[in-house]
Amino acid sequence: MSKRVGIIGAAVTPFKGRWQEKTYYELAQWATREACKDAQVSIHDVESAFYGIYNDIFERTCIPEHAIHGLLGMQNKFGTRISTGGATGAYTMSAAHAYLAAGRFKTALVLGVEKATDCFDFASMSATPEVIKTIGWSGDSFFEQPIGWTASDSYAEVVLAYMDEHPGDLKPETTAEISAQLSRQVRTNPYAQRQFDQVTREEVMNSRLVVYPFRELEICVYSEGAAALILAEEETALAISRNTGKPVVWITGLGEANEHSFVGKNHKIMSRIMSDYYASRRAYEMAGIKDPTQSIQIVELHDAFVHQLEISMAEFGLVPPGRADALIDEGLMTPGGKYLVNPCGGLIYCGHAVGASNVMSAWSARNELLARGLHTALVHGTGSTIAQYTACLILEC
Amino acid sequence: MKTGTGKVIPYEYIPDEGSEIETVDGRQYLIANDAMYTFFKRTKGELSPFFLALRDEKRLLGCKCVECGLVRVPPFLTHCPDCNFASTKLLEVEQVGILNSTAPITYFATSLFQHMAPYGRGRVIFRGADTALSVNLYTTTGILVPGILNKGTEVKLIFRTNRIGEMTDVFCVPTSELSRDQVEKRGLEESEIDWESPVEPNVLDASAEDTSVYREALKEIKSIVEEMNRNDRARKDIAGWRRDIAVKARGGQFALIIDERGIRIEEKELSAPDFIMVSQDLRVLLDGLAYRGAITDSVINKRLWISKNPEFTTIFKLDRMARSVARSKKD
Ligand SMILES: [Zn+2]
Repeated sequence: MSKRVGIIGAAVTPFKGRWQEKTYYELAQWATREACKDAQVSIHDVESAFYGIYNDIFERTCIPEHAIHGLLGMQNKFGTRISTGGATGAYTMSAAHAYLAAGRFKTALVLGVEKATDCFDFASMSATPEVIKTIGWSGDSFFEQPIGWTASDSYAEVVLAYMDEHPGDLKPETTAEISAQLSRQVRTNPYAQRQFDQVTREEVMNSRLVVYPFRELEICVYSEGAAALILAEEETALAISRNTGKPVVWITGLGEANEHSFVGKNHKIMSRIMSDYYASRRAYEMAGIKDPTQSIQIVELHDAFVHQLEISMAEFGLVPPGRADALIDEGLMTPGGKYLVNPCGGLIYCGHAVGASNVMSAWSARNELLARGLHTALVHGTGSTIAQYTACLILEC
Repeated sequence: MKTGTGKVIPYEYIPDEGSEIETVDGRQYLIANDAMYTFFKRTKGELSPFFLALRDEKRLLGCKCVECGLVRVPPFLTHCPDCNFASTKLLEVEQVGILNSTAPITYFATSLFQHMAPYGRGRVIFRGADTALSVNLYTTTGILVPGILNKGTEVKLIFRTNRIGEMTDVFCVPTSELSRDQVEKRGLEESEIDWESPVEPNVLDASAEDTSVYREALKEIKSIVEEMNRNDRARKDIAGWRRDIAVKARGGQFALIIDERGIRIEEKELSAPDFIMVSQDLRVLLDGLAYRGAITDSVINKRLWISKNPEFTTIFKLDRMARSVARSKKD
């Protein structure tokens, strides 16, 4: 019988477009210091470390975690690094959970960290094209990198294929309204990159098309930052909780799935995000959730693109496929609606510090569960080409 | 795109060594120019027959599982994981296929791909194949815009004349833009396609009111263009650029000239323009030049048509000029 595992501490650094003031060493230590403080534990009591760092080039070193292990005080202990594209943070939490559930360790540090905008394009004298180029090294190197693969055009492939099947869904007004709503939600997140970037639906609709159908204000922004969780198995978690007075937020369900990266018969179905479908169903099953529309109250979803947010919500079974616009049209995610979706502002407004992003989402979900007295949240990470990877977690309080 | 003749990293991308200080909240931070670079002599290994067939024989190969018969294009594996790793055999497939889903178009590319933008990249299931090949997609009809490369659109594989054994050796265009002979020919090369006869949209007949709207817009454009000429930042945006552009709209046409003297309007018909710009309403161009919405957006949204796909770069430069003027006013 595997052990229950819960979150007993969490922290994030501010997410910023550029941290000239910090290297990833200090960002990592900062989030870890704060998470230990939140859990009221010493780092010496943490038995294992799980690092979520996406892209070696962003950190400008291979095995970037080796340098932070000691400066977090984890020397001579277990440490491993997870890298699964955009889903890095969610997969890192999943890995840490597995070791604790199996009884290997009583406690674990989950640390997500990422730099990005140290990359710089000297031709245009700006960082963004070089960041996009760096992510571009993640595409298939034989067949797709040479012909201009980007994260945006690969997610656009999925979104356009969905729109082929459901031409009435993902209306421009709706995607724009979701972005505008996220921009209002981010106001209460002091760690967000765009805390005060409130925009209207019209402003979103008038923002520049980057890759059709994605507008500039419908795409997550690249960030630098770190996020950390302290996880513990049941007995330890309860003991720490008695000490801090903060309830344990239990990880009751997990599910992961990685699709095929090639498309066609018996391969990836382009109009679906089956990784979201399988991962969420596996997480529901583990958590004993029969009807997610009745159980899920908070969704902290990896919104790389607003359109993908809508499709992911459909794949989770929270809104009917082909009618994802009901999120707005029927008020499912509008204030006071059935689901609280990305109260942190999501990756579009809080920012996307890749390895840290999903950990930040879990931090936010835990905050909301505790603050609002709610019971069940779904945390999600998506990544790799054509939304190939997903990891989902169910948090309960 | 590699051509097989240049440097692996073009010189212009390579910064000088050096460092600088950036000050944030009164504190100084040291920031150094840097690069990670690794050179390769990288094998294409088991994929070599596929790339050699593209390069040397203008043939498209896939692999067929001896058990389940599934034909995968490209032949990205030697044994089928669906059939307990039964072996696969290489075979040739046809060079006409259909788009598996609507293809995205990248308009703003990074330095690596700027020269090929705007480009479509989509998945084509060629006749005889069960899986899709990811390819670049273009049109011969002018600027590449949404609506040309849709799910189910039949496309033809086109070979570059200079091939080096990479995926950039090929691209696709809709078969509807080709003659029947061209569609049927295997190994059709880009040089055999007519890129010089794009389908120019018809400008509707102008009413007296349309003509007066046109005259008014032209007057404003002239004044904006003069302002751009006086603006150093805007001049920098077109440094070294030369284009003779024929602009047509309901109500008339004129020439927009970009050269070492700057940018200017001449009310004449160009006999051999570098490219043609067509909009029913000249105010679409006017708005862009006046920094009321991007001209690139008008192109993507089909309110303004241009006759040559790579000239999106020129449109982008016009947007930059509009922005430069607006910024100067702000300062
Ligand atoms: Zn087989």
